[in-house]
Amino acid sequence: MPDQFATPEPDEAVKLALRRIEESTARGEGSDVEGLAFNEVVVNMGPQHPSTHGVLRLVVTLDGELVKDVIPVIGYLHRCKEKLAEKRTYYQYIPIVDRTEYVAGMNCEWGYVMTVEKLAGIRPTRRAEFIRVIMAELNRIASHQVAVGTFTADLAPLGTAMVFYMFRDRENILDLLEEVSGARMMFNYFRFGGLRYDLPDGWVEKCRDLMKRLPKLIDEYESLVQDNAIFLQRCVGKGVITQQDVVDYGITGPCARASGVAHDLRRTRPYSVYPELDFEVCTESHGDVFDRYQVRMDEMRESVKIVEQALDMLPKGPVQLGALRAPYVITPPPGACYTGQENPRGEYGTYIVSDGSRYPYRLKFRDPCFCNLQLFPKLLSGNKIADAVAISGSIDLVLGGIDR
Amino acid sequence: MRYPKLEHFQEPNVITTTADFIFSWARSHSVFPFTYGLACCAIEMLSSGFARFDVARYGMEVFRPTPRQCDLMIVAGTVNEKMAPVLKRLYDQMSEPKWVISMGACATSGGPFYDGYNVVNGVDKIVPVDVYIPGCPPRPEALFQGLLELQVKIQQHKFVAETPKPAALTPAPAAGEEA
Amino acid sequence: MGLEIGTNPMDMDAIAARLAADFAAALTDVRVQEPDTVVARCDRAALKDVARRLKAHPEIGYETLNFVAGVDKVRHLESVYHVYSWKTNTYLELHVEVPTAAAEVDTVCDVWPAADWHERESWDMVGIKYLGHPDLRRILLKDDFVGHPLRKDYVDSVENHPHA
Repeated sequence: MPDQFATPEPDEAVKLALRRIEESTARGEGSDVEGLAFNEVVVNMGPQHPSTHGVLRLVVTLDGELVKDVIPVIGYLHRCKEKLAEKRTYYQYIPIVDRTEYVAGMNCEWGYVMTVEKLAGIRPTRRAEFIRVIMAELNRIASHQVAVGTFTADLAPLGTAMVFYMFRDRENILDLLEEVSGARMMFNYFRFGGLRYDLPDGWVEKCRDLMKRLPKLIDEYESLVQDNAIFLQRCVGKGVITQQDVVDYGITGPCARASGVAHDLRRTRPYSVYPELDFEVCTESHGDVFDRYQVRMDEMRESVKIVEQALDMLPKGPVQLGALRAPYVITPPPGACYTGQENPRGEYGTYIVSDGSRYPYRLKFRDPCFCNLQLFPKLLSGNKIADAVAISGSIDLVLGGIDR
Repeated sequence: MRYPKLEHFQEPNVITTTADFIFSWARSHSVFPFTYGLACCAIEMLSSGFARFDVARYGMEVFRPTPRQCDLMIVAGTVNEKMAPVLKRLYDQMSEPKWVISMGACATSGGPFYDGYNVVNGVDKIVPVDVYIPGCPPRPEALFQGLLELQVKIQQHKFVAETPKPAALTPAPAAGEEA
Repeated sequence: MGLEIGTNPMDMDAIAARLAADFAAALTDVRVQEPDTVVARCDRAALKDVARRLKAHPEIGYETLNFVAGVDKVRHLESVYHVYSWKTNTYLELHVEVPTAAAEVDTVCDVWPAADWHERESWDMVGIKYLGHPDLRRILLKDDFVGHPLRKDYVDSVENHPHA
């Protein structure tokens, strides 16, 4: 380890930032102050920082309070997931997929399990399909609670009440998920062809109870910040994502829907039993920070509707293929397959190349936050540093997915 | 550690104790943790700070993002080779006395990613750890058990008789040297 | 309200036939993978031209890039491009073979801006060099990492992984 008290050598990202300053000075855009060659300062935000959600490092070039340029540096949580896939069987890999976007574990598992089922030609049971929808939507509500909660916690450091209310209610959802799968966050619940366990007795009633209470709670969250003039001033009109950005950078999820693009994989490329369920795709038109927040709140309400419908339509039957247990060792035929799934953050895709053995040959995740993060330099430049914090909170990043 | 009994406070009174007892009692019940949440365990650490599993019951709700103001570093999540120098730097920036809790399987020994080409198999290869909390992720109750173990450990520390150590400029000393 | 999805719905076989006809020499082995993907192989030299024409195609414009994946198939490397067409609401999976010895292929950053980080990741993990990329450096691993881990012949080394 280098001497920890010496100034560190600038690494590639900082060198790039300094090079860009030199180039802009050479172009004549230097400082207008007597005696200064240039105004800019290169500052490091992260990888340990209260407002970057996770270990994201932003090398920010600042001119006073104005952000001139941002170079995101990632990889501080790179856990070699794609290489590990080649050493684990398909079944052994399910718990690892949970830890990709750890806030929305059920959705991530579903994306992976769906791709393997498509490759291997396995069709899940009908009851399992409905329970999968219920779990995914419950996890969507929980994930949005974390996302919006931590976003408002950034605006005033843990000073807003909203995050406390949201985490309080998130515990109720996690209780339900824990009863079903045994764990609060890393569920390891989906299996090829179905699920690990059926719903326990009394679970449906508890879930219905919670779904009756949630819409009022969501109204309560909104009432905490909606009329706050400072919140509106910090959020309205900031960090606008245009529809051209959505097309150019492959932005998906609430970030795209807030810009007016009605791209929701549950409607545009429907999977599972979503065609039989009735729900709206929530869009807003401006694409700024406030619209992204609004889309997430509306999506929570739509998820409540979906869960109630799925509970009503829940058929009887097995949740696993086969008499006793779901297939443990599967060897899909050689080939490659991609499926996209609507994660709370966007299109979570899994691309699997199989060579006919028990282990995947190559596994690639198309992570929504990785694609959304590419927009950061464009999105944050020209804003004040405080707005940069608000905008990066509204994009909803989970570093587990970005770094894999 | 023996706490004074309630009946001792019923009349004007003199309580005798050692300076060690007072310092360690105060320090163990007002630990400032460092928000070093790296991965999934960070979400459980957050949950333990909020309403249901209130960490303020133990006096540890003052999570500070800067290492200068903290005395407990809870490493919550996987550390990899890119993050390791950052971890060491932040640990060095904390002032004595400082403690480290390794929360979760990844920080203890690499966890489910132990055979990754980039994963540090246990944060104790980089910083000295006081309490290990197993789990993936450990429930908030498990985190609290670890914090209570740490409180016991802090209370056993002799503060007054301790000779101040020079700040370590290099990593762990070679075998045979005194720490 | 601007960007519409599925304004020109076409049958998968019709799309495959149209692509085979329009890109006769450049795209080979065009086939349909149910339910919504056309898979095709593209020659390394023709990639830039094909990419531009795919994006600008009047009826099936593939305007958005989903990801670029590098795959090590031992005898050669492969750069897989997964693109999405808003008009037909379908995907195209483009495989480009790259020899392992001279692992270079043209960048598509100027066609699809999203390719920037995906190509950096492919370079980082598999070692395919993208010629013309504005800033091809490591993205997930530390800057002085030696080797490309997702190659099948990668061996864990002490210099990369001192704290095993």
